[in-house]
Amino acid sequence: MKANFFANMKISRKLVAVFLATSIIAMGVNIFIYLNLNIALDKINQVFSSNISLNELSDNLNQIHAGLTGYLETKGTDDLELYYASTQSMNTLMKDLNDTVTDNSVKLSERDIRNMLETYLATADEAIQAKRGRNIDEYTTKYNECTRIKDYLNTYIYSVNNEQFRTNSNNYNALVNSLRYTEIMSMLIFAVASVMNILLIIILTNTITRPLTRLSAKADEISQGSPENVEPLEVISDDEVGKVTRAFNEMLASIKDYIARIRTQLITQSEMKEKNLLMETHLKDAQLKYLQSQINPHFLFNTLNAGAQLAMMEGADRTVEYIRNMADFFRYNVKKNSETVKLSEEIELVDSYMYILNVRFAGEMLFEKDIDESLLNVMVPSMIIQPLVENSIKYGIKDLEPGEGKITLSVYREGDNCCIRVSDNGIGTDEDIIEKIMSNEKKPSETRGVGITNVMERLDLHYNNREVFEIKSKKNEGTHVTIKIPLEDGNV
Amino acid sequence: MKVSRNKVVVTILAGVVLVLFLATVAGLFYYREMIRKLGEVREEVFNEYPRLYAYIADDPDSQLSNRIYKEISEYAVEHDCYVEMTGQNLSSSYSKADRMNIAISSKVDGIILEGDDSEETARLVDKATANGIPVVTVLTDCQTSSRKSFVGLNNYSLGSEYGDQLAAIGEEQKKYPLTALILLDRDDGNADDIIHAAIQQAVVGRSVSFTSAIVDTSSPFTSEESIMNIIDGIDKMPDVIICLNDRTTESAIQCVVEKNLVGKTTILGYYSSDTILKAIDRGSVYATFTIETKTVARQCVNALNEYNNTGFVSEYNPANYIMINRDNVADYEPEDKDEG
Repeated sequence: MKANFFANMKISRKLVAVFLATSIIAMGVNIFIYLNLNIALDKINQVFSSNISLNELSDNLNQIHAGLTGYLETKGTDDLELYYASTQSMNTLMKDLNDTVTDNSVKLSERDIRNMLETYLATADEAIQAKRGRNIDEYTTKYNECTRIKDYLNTYIYSVNNEQFRTNSNNYNALVNSLRYTEIMSMLIFAVASVMNILLIIILTNTITRPLTRLSAKADEISQGSPENVEPLEVISDDEVGKVTRAFNEMLASIKDYIARIRTQLITQSEMKEKNLLMETHLKDAQLKYLQSQINPHFLFNTLNAGAQLAMMEGADRTVEYIRNMADFFRYNVKKNSETVKLSEEIELVDSYMYILNVRFAGEMLFEKDIDESLLNVMVPSMIIQPLVENSIKYGIKDLEPGEGKITLSVYREGDNCCIRVSDNGIGTDEDIIEKIMSNEKKPSETRGVGITNVMERLDLHYNNREVFEIKSKKNEGTHVTIKIPLEDGNV
Repeated sequence: MKVSRNKVVVTILAGVVLVLFLATVAGLFYYREMIRKLGEVREEVFNEYPRLYAYIADDPDSQLSNRIYKEISEYAVEHDCYVEMTGQNLSSSYSKADRMNIAISSKVDGIILEGDDSEETARLVDKATANGIPVVTVLTDCQTSSRKSFVGLNNYSLGSEYGDQLAAIGEEQKKYPLTALILLDRDDGNADDIIHAAIQQAVVGRSVSFTSAIVDTSSPFTSEESIMNIIDGIDKMPDVIICLNDRTTESAIQCVVEKNLVGKTTILGYYSSDTILKAIDRGSVYATFTIETKTVARQCVNALNEYNNTGFVSEYNPANYIMINRDNVADYEPEDKDEG
């Protein structure tokens, strides 16, 4: 409770309390020693007081005797006054003298002196009475008696004084010697008290500074990173440091909270990113499907036209054949809309397409295949070769003389790639158009058609790599379009 | 870990502070006690007595008187009174009359006096009696005074004893006529005369010739010189020197030793001081007589107490004497040692 009371005090008050406590202790010890030393000094001073009072006694006696002598000689009133005054003070002084019988020589001498003084005073009074009665013999005898007693008294006082002086001197020496011990003792006490004070200051100052040290150590800990592992400080006191500690703890808590919030935010963000990516993919997928759906009606329209023409010109056999091919073609389109297919299926589609076209254009177009049979099972995105063939026909060999146009489809291995090349011997493509196609700047209407752009975009999405696609062309020597499918585990 | 260590250190320091605080408090109390004891150095313990008696010796330096005073003091304190040797420890030495006066004016309850035959002493004894102070004489009486009691030897029987020893010396030495020198004390006229007479009476019929001389004992230093003068003034050395008090005996021994007279003369002494006992042992003293001091002391104190209590006391209290010679000297040696 007391410790709490101290802990809850303001620092300034604590410091004042520390210095007050130590100062009061030091002052208390000092005052105690000083007072006792004073008592001792008083005692030393008292040592010789007995000598002083004996001397007073002797002086007084001599005055009485002088008064007595003077009165007996001249009957002078001054002498009588002196006599009475001295007698009075003697009576007072005598009261301090011992009047009991003891085995202490000084005390016994005091008793003798006292009794002799009484005798002296009585005899002196008798002498004065005799003087008044003018009885010369009487007062002479009494006076002689007084003189004799006075002589004894002086001797006694002198002797007792001497004796006392000797005892007193011994006492004085003993006192002074013991005083030296008390001096050493007081030094010791003072030294102990000083050490105690120093320790007290150390403890109390430590009580004040310890929370600060703890606080700074915690701050260090935080500054070294990972504040979430730092435990809050225990609040010991309710002083300024206690308040700072509390604020520090709150700050620590809010830092931890903040870090936790940031962490949750990051997780949400990355989750959202992932979702976004997924959505993008789906969008692309949708776009692809849309593009694919753009192709079908257009083609269907043409082929149906051709089918109608054929039906008008010829008999049913060839129409059957034609429609079969057309049916295959559409079936494929419907079936393999967006998925990957075997290369062989793609080639079959091209075969069907070329049959249909040859029917349409009355076999004017030459179609050659150079296929590496081992690559027929390579998986590729669907509908990638047919649009190229369509483009080659549309922009390459359409304007040539009938029977001169020739399309070559080659499938071969080149390093780790399966190369699919569609070549024509048509008019070729301008460099800047190729560049535009490759950089995807050209809109489908301006290029060699929807087909090639669509193929390129789909390959791009599928392989994330533009280099899969390659267009080479020379003026009037035809165009070579090559798709390089990487031979990976997934597509073989 | 760090905090707990800190706590341990603080606890230890606090413990040390507590110990130091207690040490300081204890030290302060001890210190106070020391200071208090400083004053006690002066306070002497003493006993109080209802009565004070004065002992007035003939010669305060005499060993016999001191011995008697010591015995009286010891006996007195056991019987509720204190005896002071008046005039002792004073800066100047006073005569017996002065000491009597001091005792009277300091109103003691009784005086034990080594009496003498002088008129002055008798007058002072009377003065004391007039002041209501009873006086008991010891060793030597003051017959003419109003003293209440006398404690001492019967001088006649002591003289007879001296005579008997003188006869014994004569018998031993087979030397007749035997010459004897009696050294008398100037102050003790009457007592010494009785002894003198008794000695002569005891050797009646034997061939003993006496001479006597008076020793000046008026001051502490005169007796030895006086004896030396007496011996120097004698033509023929006496066979026996008879001494009637302790100082005379010791002085005579000293003279005999100094003048190389051991064997030529012998001493009949008085009192049993160390010197005298040694002299017996060595043969320079034939025999010595001493009073039974314990008895004397007891009788003195009892006489005064009895008078103070009842107003009456027996006038004479005889004391015993002891003779010490070669045969029994060994028994007395230890007693003298404490005289120092």
